[in-house]
Amino acid sequence: MSTSLNEADALLQTRGVSRNLEAWVMGAAFCRTGGTAAFALGDGSLHIAEVAAPEAEWQGIAAHEGSTRALVADCADGYLTGGDDGRLLRTAPDGTGTELGSYGAMKWVENLAAHPAGVRLAAIGRAVHVLDGKGRLLKSLAHPSTVTGVALDGKGKRIVASHYNGASLWYVAAKEDKPRLLEWKGSHIGVAIHPDGTHVVTAMQEASLHGWRLEDGQHMRMSGYPGKTRSMGFTQSGRFLATAGSEAVVLWPFFGGGPMGKAPTELAGGDEALVSRVACHPKHEVVAAGFNDGLVLMVEVTSGKVVPVAAPGRGPISALAWNPSGTHLAFGTEWGFCGVVNLSRQ
Amino acid sequence: MSQPVPPVSPAASHDRPPVPVTVLTGYLGAGKTTLLNRILTENHGKKFAVVINEFGELGVDNDLVVDADEEVFEMNNGCICCTVRGDLIRILSGLVQRRGQLDGIIVETTGLADPAPVAQTFFVDEDVKRATRLDAIVTVADAKNLLARLADSKEAAEQLAFADLIVLNKMDLVTPAEADAVEARIRTINPWAQLIRSEKSQVPLDQVIGRDAFNLARILEHEPEFLSGEDNHSHDEEIQSLSFETDKPIDPEKFNAWISDLLATKGQDLLRTKGILAYAGEDRRFAFQAVHMIADGDFITPWKPGEARKSKIVFIGRDLNRPRLRRGFEACAA
Repeated sequence: MSTSLNEADALLQTRGVSRNLEAWVMGAAFCRTGGTAAFALGDGSLHIAEVAAPEAEWQGIAAHEGSTRALVADCADGYLTGGDDGRLLRTAPDGTGTELGSYGAMKWVENLAAHPAGVRLAAIGRAVHVLDGKGRLLKSLAHPSTVTGVALDGKGKRIVASHYNGASLWYVAAKEDKPRLLEWKGSHIGVAIHPDGTHVVTAMQEASLHGWRLEDGQHMRMSGYPGKTRSMGFTQSGRFLATAGSEAVVLWPFFGGGPMGKAPTELAGGDEALVSRVACHPKHEVVAAGFNDGLVLMVEVTSGKVVPVAAPGRGPISALAWNPSGTHLAFGTEWGFCGVVNLSRQ
Repeated sequence: MSQPVPPVSPAASHDRPPVPVTVLTGYLGAGKTTLLNRILTENHGKKFAVVINEFGELGVDNDLVVDADEEVFEMNNGCICCTVRGDLIRILSGLVQRRGQLDGIIVETTGLADPAPVAQTFFVDEDVKRATRLDAIVTVADAKNLLARLADSKEAAEQLAFADLIVLNKMDLVTPAEADAVEARIRTINPWAQLIRSEKSQVPLDQVIGRDAFNLARILEHEPEFLSGEDNHSHDEEIQSLSFETDKPIDPEKFNAWISDLLATKGQDLLRTKGILAYAGEDRRFAFQAVHMIADGDFITPWKPGEARKSKIVFIGRDLNRPRLRRGFEACAA
């Protein structure tokens, strides 16, 4: 009957709800309470779905003039978004918006992070603004060039920001703000920090990763990617860094002395399409991956077992996120297709 | 919980043509921002995004203006002159994620900017290549002060050297003889750029936007306008241009070996190189261009029946050794 109802699309067809929102999906996230999923779009809008009833109408909010550039779950509930209107916005679960910062109409708010401990980060140009859970500006951290990525460690105490020629490490609570500079020449375009705060890894313009072991400053170089790594994250155990940018999900081991001198594990490869997004499961050693042909799948790290979620053909995957309990997966594409799939035992 | 999956429109409907990018350079006070505002306020019904630098002289009148720090970095590809603008990679990739097709993007550089990193960004970055194409580098020069600027700054000559179009502005402030002298000086630096004389940056929009000057198919479309006689002897540090022509068919392997070696060893001094080549036994013309060490080449339209199959190459750069370059080029004959 329907040609799209094939094996790869079965989970989306039988356990999913999807919408065609017709603008580039810039980000997807579930709020920390798990009650809603949100999609941020290139037309400035934010769309919120109820996880318990995603088939009901999604709430559409005109969040930003121009494009929404970044979306993360806020500290306790709701969402933070940044736009190319220079605004940092909090949206409560009911859709009410509160402007937390406005940094100038010609500035883009492109990189955000938040932690349940009550820390919010917004990078604008060379500055990382640190706000508390109440929206008060705690400090503004200056960098030598434009900040291209920000992250917080597992405790929400350490901040890392990537920029030209390396990354800077800061403490949220430091009385005197002096960064530890992790230097490596070149353009670093994104950053991740190990949940235990032991390693920092950046993605580079030249389609490779660079990393530092913080205890001794030892460098790591991870190369061989056919494309830029625009998405990466540590698995819940912290044992692996899952990365996009290759035809397979490339996982670097962060145990047994790795990743120095260790080969990565490559999973769910085989096709020519590149992995464009990865999202690590919050409870298990499972990674969801989205490809630039539109395929979405899950792969179990230890067994390498692959379960397809959505078939190719709806645009390159540009957003991917798990809910906090790991029962639902949300994804979005460059063409504006958004899906929420229920993967819980039924 | 599940719902029928809504259909998506076919892949082809999501293909957006690359957005043309016009780079606007020129020394401080030459009239760059005035030209930019003229382009933007002309009643053309087009939607432009403008990328300006944070030290802009004047306000820019447009809905979509992005403020950029001109952040240049060296690529880690072993090529020391391969510098690119990281801020442009980010902004150009970001602009195409917005809803609605842009008719063009205009990048205004600071007066002191070297145009090479801007141009190289379009050759090096995959995302930029997919989303946009470099339409032209437009340099605004001030007829009254250009000679003085050329004497006291190296950027003024670089901006002329890189230009596809030169707007010789402030013509109302010079005599016809002075204007001719300035134009003659410009031609020693850049013989192929089109030159438009203007007052108060008044130039028709279609002369500036949509020129498609970086298209290989249009390389050397305008015959370089050389002054009669040999080039005036110039100081080593001065930018000059040289061109060579041969009736003999070119051997592709010999040419590749020569040009690769030349760009690798001399690329820092070679600002722009363009060529149209007649390969032996090949009916199509081969077009070639390079910005410093980064080169691009492909076959374009066939030679016309009866057309003289002349191979031509033009160099703009510093410290160019005319006899050596000529020998090198002529040795590429099949």
